[in-house]
Amino acid sequence: MTAERLSCDVAVVGAGPAGLAAASAAATAGASVICLDAFGQPGGQYAMQPTQAGSAFAETSAVLSGQDAAQQAAAAGAKILCGAEVFWGAPVPGGFCLSVNRQGSALAVEARAVVVAAGAMERPLPFPGWTLPGVIGAGAAQRMLKTGSGALPMTGSTVLAGSGPFLLAVAQSFARAGQPLDHFVEMQRPSLTGLTGLFMRHPDRVFEAMRLGRDLRGTGATRHFGHIVTRAIGRDRVEAVEIAPLDGSGRPDMSRTTRIERVGTLAVGYGFQPVIDLTTALGAAHDFDAALGGWHCRADDDGATTIPNLWAAGETLGIGGAAPAQLSGRIAGGAAAAALGFPADDTAEPRKRVRRARAFAAGLAALFPMPRHLPLELPDDELICRCEDIRAGDIATAIAEGAHESFAVKTWTRAGMGPCQGRICGAGVAAALARAGIPSETASYNRAHLPLRPVPLPLVRDAMEAQNQMETRA
Amino acid sequence: MRGSGRRHPRGSAARIGRCDVTLPERAEVIVVGGGIVGLAAALALAEAGAAPLLLEARSFGGAVTGGSLAAIGTHMHGLEEYAVMDEACALWRDLAARTGNPFEYNPQGQIGFLLDADGVEAGERWVADERALGADCRLVTPAELAEIEPNLTGPILGATFAPDTATVNPFLAARTVLSLARAAGASARDHAPVADLLVEAGRVAGVRMENGTEIRAEHVVLASGPWTQDVSARVGIDLPLVPRQAQCLATLRQRPGTIRRIVSAVESGGGVDSGYTQIQQAGSGQILFNTVVGLIETPEGARDRINEVPSGFVLTSIDTLSLLFPSLAGVPLLRSWVRFEAVSPDARFLAGRLPRDGLWICAGDNGSGYCRALMLGRFLAGEITGQPALAPALRAEARALYDPDRFGRAA
Repeated sequence: MTAERLSCDVAVVGAGPAGLAAASAAATAGASVICLDAFGQPGGQYAMQPTQAGSAFAETSAVLSGQDAAQQAAAAGAKILCGAEVFWGAPVPGGFCLSVNRQGSALAVEARAVVVAAGAMERPLPFPGWTLPGVIGAGAAQRMLKTGSGALPMTGSTVLAGSGPFLLAVAQSFARAGQPLDHFVEMQRPSLTGLTGLFMRHPDRVFEAMRLGRDLRGTGATRHFGHIVTRAIGRDRVEAVEIAPLDGSGRPDMSRTTRIERVGTLAVGYGFQPVIDLTTALGAAHDFDAALGGWHCRADDDGATTIPNLWAAGETLGIGGAAPAQLSGRIAGGAAAAALGFPADDTAEPRKRVRRARAFAAGLAALFPMPRHLPLELPDDELICRCEDIRAGDIATAIAEGAHESFAVKTWTRAGMGPCQGRICGAGVAAALARAGIPSETASYNRAHLPLRPVPLPLVRDAMEAQNQMETRA
Repeated sequence: MRGSGRRHPRGSAARIGRCDVTLPERAEVIVVGGGIVGLAAALALAEAGAAPLLLEARSFGGAVTGGSLAAIGTHMHGLEEYAVMDEACALWRDLAARTGNPFEYNPQGQIGFLLDADGVEAGERWVADERALGADCRLVTPAELAEIEPNLTGPILGATFAPDTATVNPFLAARTVLSLARAAGASARDHAPVADLLVEAGRVAGVRMENGTEIRAEHVVLASGPWTQDVSARVGIDLPLVPRQAQCLATLRQRPGTIRRIVSAVESGGGVDSGYTQIQQAGSGQILFNTVVGLIETPEGARDRINEVPSGFVLTSIDTLSLLFPSLAGVPLLRSWVRFEAVSPDARFLAGRLPRDGLWICAGDNGSGYCRALMLGRFLAGEITGQPALAPALRAEARALYDPDRFGRAA
C-alpha cells in the first residue's frame, strides 16, 4: 500500500470554531487549504453536530454556527476532511508533512504552513472512586446528549459536579435534551461582587449568562455551590455519591458530608486543558498558565509559534471558549496565508475583539480558578493510571524517591505509557507533583512523540514512507 | 546568589525542581551523571565507604539509560571482553536475587536470527568462539526455533541461541541502584546541572554548578554518557567519544509470551556505523523493536535537538518486525523514542583515570552500557579508593580494556 497524498499551502488541524475560521481566512486570501478533523463532521466539540434525526440540538446557535462556519470555509475553497486524525507531523523541505489516519488508510498531507487548532480536552482529576463505571467526564456527558441516542445510558439519579462555566453549559444541555438532572455540585461559590464586576465590563455577555442560570434552575437539580464530590461509592458501578462543603482553606469539611443515593451517572468536569500534542511534537515552545488551562502553545498576536510557518489558534493557545477561538483562528489563518505571500487581511478589528473576548474568559477563569492541588487525600490504592494500573501510592513513592518532573514519574511508574498516552492520568500526576511541592511550571509536560495516538503499523509505514520521500527528494 | 558577597554558611539552596534542596559545599567524590553508569559508580563508591555525591542534570536515568533496551548478556559482544562481561552479568543476576528483583530482571535468553548464508557463517563463528571461552550458546535450526520462539515464523535459516541473556527494566533498575546507593551512604541530586570543573594547582578540585554554586571534591568522575566529552573539554581533555543517535518503537501491549526472547541480528561489528536489530517484549506487554541498517547520520548538535525517530528507521524497523513476526504486522504502534549513545573508536568504554589529577571517567557505552554498569562501577570505585572490588585478574583485564589513554594521550 502507499499513502494517499495531498498538498496545499495551508493545512489546518482541527475543524472547530478556530480551525474553520482559520481555513476560511486562509482560503479567502487565495491559499489552497486542507482542514483536517478526527470527528465525522466539522464543528468540533463546541459546535458538535447531532447525529440523530430531530435532535433537540439541531437548531441551537452553536450547531448552526458550526454549519455556517463549515459552509463558509468550503465556499472560500477550503477542503474539509473529516474522519481524518492527524497522528504525526514533521518538518520537510519547504514545509511540513502531516500523517493522517483517514478511516483506516494513510494520508500524507504536505503543507507549506500549518495552523494547529486542536482544541481542548477534559482535565480529569482523580478522587476516590473516580474509575467506577457510571462516573464519566462532563464533556462526555454532553457529547452523549448531543449525539447518538441523545440520552445517558444509565438509569438512576444524575449528578453533575466539578467547576467552571462549562458545567453550566452541560446543565443547559441536560435541559435541552429533556434529560433529568438531579444534583448540580459546583466547587466554587463565585462572589456576587465578582460576577457583577465581570458583567459590568462585558454587558454583551449578560444575556448568555442569564440563560445559563435560568436553564440550570429549569433542570430542577438541587444546587450545591461550594461543594465537591469526595467519593463515588459502589461495588461494580457507581451507586452513591458523597459530597462535602469546602472550608475556608479550600479543603472539604469531612465532618459535614452528604450522601446522594441511587446514583446512575456522575458526570464530573474540572475544566479543560489545551491539546498540545502536535505543537509539542513539532518542537514549539509552550508556557504554563493556570488561568489558561495549564500548558499551552506560545504564540504572538498573529498566532505565530516559535517554529517558522507553524501557527496556532483557538484553545491550543489556552482555554477561553468559542468566541476568542473563532477570532484567533481568523487571525492565524490570514497571517499564515500572508506569510506565504498571499494578500493580508486587515485584522485590526478581530484583534480588538479577540483581546476583549480573552479578557472575559480570563475574568471567568478568575471566578472559577482551576484546582492546582488535589483537594482530597487519595488512598494509596486509588487508581490513577487506568491503562497501566498505577495507584496513587506508587506515584507518591516515586516522587519521594526522586521522580521530580512529569517525565520522571512516567518512567518510574509507567503512568502515561499506556494507550491513552497520559491524557487521562496527566492531570492527576501533575496534581500529585504539585502536592509534593513541585508546581506544574517546574514539573513540565511530556512532549509528544510518534504516534500522537496509537495507529496500526501498516498505516504508520505508509505515512512514513511518504514523509521519507518528501524529506529526501532533490 | 552569586555576587551577594557572602557565602551561605550551610551550603547553597539550588533551584532544582523541588523546594528546599541544598547542595553540600564539599564531597569526597563527585559523580557527574545520574544514568545507570553514574548510579552504579555511586553505589560501588558508597559501598567502599567513599560517600559520593552524584549530580544529575535532569532526572535519574531519564536520558540514555531510560531509552535503553537493557540487555544483560555476553552473546555477540567483543570476545576480548568475555571474562569481565561474564562478571558484569553475574553482578546483575546477584543484584536481582539480593533485592527481591524489583526491576524485572528476566533471564529470557537471546536469539540471533540468521537470514542468509553470510549470516549463518557469522553465527557459526560467534558460537564457536564463545563456546571456546566457556559460554553457553549454540546454533539452533528453524525446527528448534518453533519451540523456543513460536511466533518467529519469518524466513530465517537458523539462529544462534544464548539461553542466559537477560533483560532488566531500565527505569526500575536505575531506581533500584539509586536507592541502594543512598542506603549505602551516597547522596544524589536530580535537576542539578554541572557547568564546569574547578581546577586548582593543575588538579581538578570540584565542580561549578549551572547556578554558580561550587562544590569541592578530591575526585570527580565523569559519567555523563554522550555529554562526557563536553565536560572534559572544559579542562582541555579531548576525548574520542562521539554521540550516535539510537531509537526504538513500541507497540500496544500484546499477550504475554508473544515474544519470549530477545530477538536480535548478528552484529557485524562495533563502531559508529554498525547496523543492528533488537526486538523484545517488555514486562508491560509492549513489543519494543528497532532495526538500524547501516549508518544513520548524527548531525552536529543533534544530541540536544533531535527528539524524533527518523522516518527511514521507522520503515526498516516495521519491515523487519513484520518479516520475522508476520502475526504482528498489523498491531498498533504506541510509542517511539530517541536517545544518544557515546561511541568510542573501538566500541569499548573509557574507564579510569584521565590525564588530570582528580579526574576520572566512566563513559563510552556504545549502545550497550547497561550490562557493564555494575562491573564498571566496582572497577572504578576500586581504582579511586584503592579498595578493589573486582578479582585481581579481572581488574587487570579491565585496566587494559578500558584504559582511557589507549588511543594515545589526549590533551
